[in-house]
Amino acid sequence: MSERPTAAELAEAILEFLGGEILPTVTDQRLRFRTLVAMNALSIVYRELERLPAGDDAEQRELAAQIRSGEVPPGTLARVKRDVEGRLRIASPRYLEQYGEASSR
Amino acid sequence: MIAEMRHALQSILGSDVSEPVLLAGGASKEAWAVDVGGQKLLVRRAAVGVIHRHTLSLADEYAVLEAAHAAGVRAPRPIAYIPDLDGREAFVMERLEGETIGRRIVRGEVPARLPVEMAEELAKIHAIPRERVPFLVEARLERMIEEFDEVGEARPAIELGLRWLRENRPPPREPVVVHGDYRIGNLVVAPGGLVGVLDWEFAHIDEPVRDLAFALVRAWRFGVPAKRLGGIGDAEPYVERYNELTGRDVRPEELDYWEVAGNVGWAIGCLTQMQRHLSGRDRSVELAVLGRLGAEVEYEICHLLERAAA
Repeated sequence: MSERPTAAELAEAILEFLGGEILPTVTDQRLRFRTLVAMNALSIVYRELERLPAGDDAEQRELAAQIRSGEVPPGTLARVKRDVEGRLRIASPRYLEQYGEASSR
Repeated sequence: MIAEMRHALQSILGSDVSEPVLLAGGASKEAWAVDVGGQKLLVRRAAVGVIHRHTLSLADEYAVLEAAHAAGVRAPRPIAYIPDLDGREAFVMERLEGETIGRRIVRGEVPARLPVEMAEELAKIHAIPRERVPFLVEARLERMIEEFDEVGEARPAIELGLRWLRENRPPPREPVVVHGDYRIGNLVVAPGGLVGVLDWEFAHIDEPVRDLAFALVRAWRFGVPAKRLGGIGDAEPYVERYNELTGRDVRPEELDYWEVAGNVGWAIGCLTQMQRHLSGRDRSVELAVLGRLGAEVEYEICHLLERAAA
């Protein structure tokens, strides 16, 4: 996986949000403590993700460059759509539901 | 800061200025509500350290708003441009009453005339004389590609979209003044209908049909995908009314073309928004996650291209 933002970059963004915007507004002592614990847990996730080997997007880069140069073999659209669908299964799985319906035009 | 701002506003608008209240707003602009002698006003002010390419300065946005208002477009009445409001550029305009949250407009009771009113306002916008707003620049497909290349992410679906747009371009129309971000989320809507058109910072000179088709982009149907016009209705009454008023004869194929263009533009927009976060210019989870949600728009591009080929 190499898609930006990477999972580590997303975890980092959430950590900054919790620390910078949420924590300063939490006055309840118990909630404050639990927020700090959650941030600590998320920073474990962040560090673990950071240690993973970087993903390889060479195949997507090659395909993108090919299309740009005008080389679009038959079946390219179907293949690209499948790849995007795979990314959506992670980023926004429910989004795909609407395409099943007889709708939208 | 609030006291300073109030004081500065008093020197321009008179002594009877209420304490400014910060409204929820975008990352690039602040919006403050103030009341001046019973008038409800809104102060749009630059946010700290944010400079965007390809969007208008507040001075130019104010000038566009003046031109739109003079052309009879339903838009907030411009009150004053302020080059330095407590250290930053700002302008003051009328604060319109109504719903501005796209999701609530779509999920609520939609005024029956809203699609037709959207066409009527757009026809007026496209009739604004270019010489009233000489600073507006003409858009080009190449600019979109430059922005995409600057982010440097490989996105085959966007490449397919760009290629299709190059190969299927309809005969060009005379460029006009366009709003540039004309969709449900940038309108003020009340039970009686369309109250005003907001957010003029993307105004430029462009193909009129691009502006017309922008409201059809699926990303802005707010969970009602079967209604092609922004989740509120079919495209046909909207386009028919627009044709009737402008004398243009926008064909369904042309609308389809610019719908694809709107999607490709927004797919690239998701990446440039993500880049604002990754580059450190504007750190924000919202911007970061757009980088991933752009896959939704890429999927829609593939869907539209498949249908065009069928």
